[in-house]
Amino acid sequence: MTANGWFQILFYSCLLLALTKPLGVYMVRVYDGSLRWLAPVERVIYRICGIDPAEDQHWTRYAAGLLLFSAVSMLVTYVALRLQARLPLNPAGLPAVPDRQAFETAASFTTNTNWQSYSGEVTMSYLSQMMQLAFHNFTSAASGMAAAVALARGIARRSGGRIGHFWVDLVRGTLYVLLPLSFVLALALVQQGVIQNFANYVTVTTVEGAKQVLAMGPAASQIAIKQLGTNGGGFFNVNSAHPFENATPISNFLEMFSLLLIPAGLVYTFGRIVNNRKHGWALWAAMFVLFFGGVATSYWAEARGNPIHAARGVDIVASATNPGGNMEGKEVRFGIANSVLWATATTDASNGSVNAMHDSFTPIGGLVPLVNIQLGEEIFGGVGSGLYGMIMMAILTVFIAGLMVGRTPEYLGKKIQSREMRMVMLYVLIFPATILTFTAASVVLPAGLKGLNNAGPHGLSEILYAFTSVTGNNGSAFAGLTGTTYYYNTLLGLGTLFGRFAMMVPMIALGGFLSERRTSPESAGTFPVTTPLFVVLLIGVILIVGALTFFPALSLGPIVEHLLMHAGRLF
Amino acid sequence: MLDIVYVVVTLVFFGLMVLYVRACEQLGRGSIDGEERP
Repeated sequence: MTANGWFQILFYSCLLLALTKPLGVYMVRVYDGSLRWLAPVERVIYRICGIDPAEDQHWTRYAAGLLLFSAVSMLVTYVALRLQARLPLNPAGLPAVPDRQAFETAASFTTNTNWQSYSGEVTMSYLSQMMQLAFHNFTSAASGMAAAVALARGIARRSGGRIGHFWVDLVRGTLYVLLPLSFVLALALVQQGVIQNFANYVTVTTVEGAKQVLAMGPAASQIAIKQLGTNGGGFFNVNSAHPFENATPISNFLEMFSLLLIPAGLVYTFGRIVNNRKHGWALWAAMFVLFFGGVATSYWAEARGNPIHAARGVDIVASATNPGGNMEGKEVRFGIANSVLWATATTDASNGSVNAMHDSFTPIGGLVPLVNIQLGEEIFGGVGSGLYGMIMMAILTVFIAGLMVGRTPEYLGKKIQSREMRMVMLYVLIFPATILTFTAASVVLPAGLKGLNNAGPHGLSEILYAFTSVTGNNGSAFAGLTGTTYYYNTLLGLGTLFGRFAMMVPMIALGGFLSERRTSPESAGTFPVTTPLFVVLLIGVILIVGALTFFPALSLGPIVEHLLMHAGRLF
Repeated sequence: MLDIVYVVVTLVFFGLMVLYVRACEQLGRGSIDGEERP
């Protein structure tokens, strides 16, 4: 670990803190409708789509709107990918995307997961990238933000189950937040050297005299929303480790920073909507402690490197002749600190983009991203999904605190009773049930084992990571697993759908239920949700729920692999 | 042929999600202590 590395991590953290409030305030105005600078565009969209922006939808209609939009847009994407060869903007003459990959990709992008079992440059035409994948990058992010804001409204007001208007929230989140930020970031990335063109692929002669085809395309515009919308699907196969997708250390910082920017801002937005800013900051503090713990652990593990490599004479220590130190799986342009910072941030958020290969990290270095996703990606988390995940954990925390003292739990003045807890428990249980069921099936079925490239605990980690990643709507790949089979494409696609919608529905229902309750004034028996004690208890609940659920599987995967590594065995 | 299967799987999934919304609504209504209590 170096002072330079720590400085970059601290600078990142301070800038995140500094921009949380300004962006949070902006988003309050977006979702309360007071921001009007794009009102003419909004009006046209509402008129064409027949939307009454003044309507306040019941939570069942809100959820139905989200499901309808997702189903239709997913099917359109499926058909478009299957017809890709007949559609324009396909200068490389790429064929139709195979059925199993079209299903997985359509599900993956609709759910903000962006798990990719294909190489973008040899599978997707420019039209598919721009009209299908980039479209979902915007709308899946806006859907997540809308759902989180709907839950916040349910907590904040008493409106008989009415929590806003899905279509209005979708339009405003896209128009006022995602599009402007993406536009500015895309320009900055182009300035740094990220490509943006419609050129044919270029054939060049390398210094060794070999011929190499360089993929081109409108990358910068997609990379911007890929990061800001916590989508993560790369334009190129190696994602942000590709120099055309992430050209310089400055573009690396911008991309890395933008993936936590909106999730952090939304926490402040929540505090304002529920009229308890201190609680917003308490949630932010819990998120930051977990984020920083992940970065520090991962940095320590990667800086130490693999002792077996050192024993065999590989130089893994940072020195004048080896300034990078342990560079296995990492880009020389970015080094250890920026690789672990990205890996931690991308798995804290439901982003999934990478600038280093997690499969090449040390066992503990690889454990951190895995655990981050398994904690439910509420450490800032995906745009919207991180916030509502953390709110679920906060409600679970006050419920446990209420049980401890024998009082009816309250959250921000709303009593939490059995129907609310049923929704919270559905939300909490669906996530591990999907991951562990699909993983268990894959480690015993021949079709599941067929895709493995590594034996032993590392192989288990690869399967566990894949299903954790898709169910958590993260999309990052551990690598080492051949996912291009009917078995994996179909099951991973279904994993993304369950991980998104089977968790969103009870969350939206919870918002509706809470909006039916009156707000009670704070009393001496109310557990305060703005104190350090609450932050500590919240972190404890998140870690305990995560540990109890996944510790057995982690023990058989990365933890046993770490112990075997020190005994001299590699997988 | 498999295209139809994938389309049907998608439609069935979202159909189940709509039923899931109804189920959550019923869970909320059916909760005996869901009423406001002093």
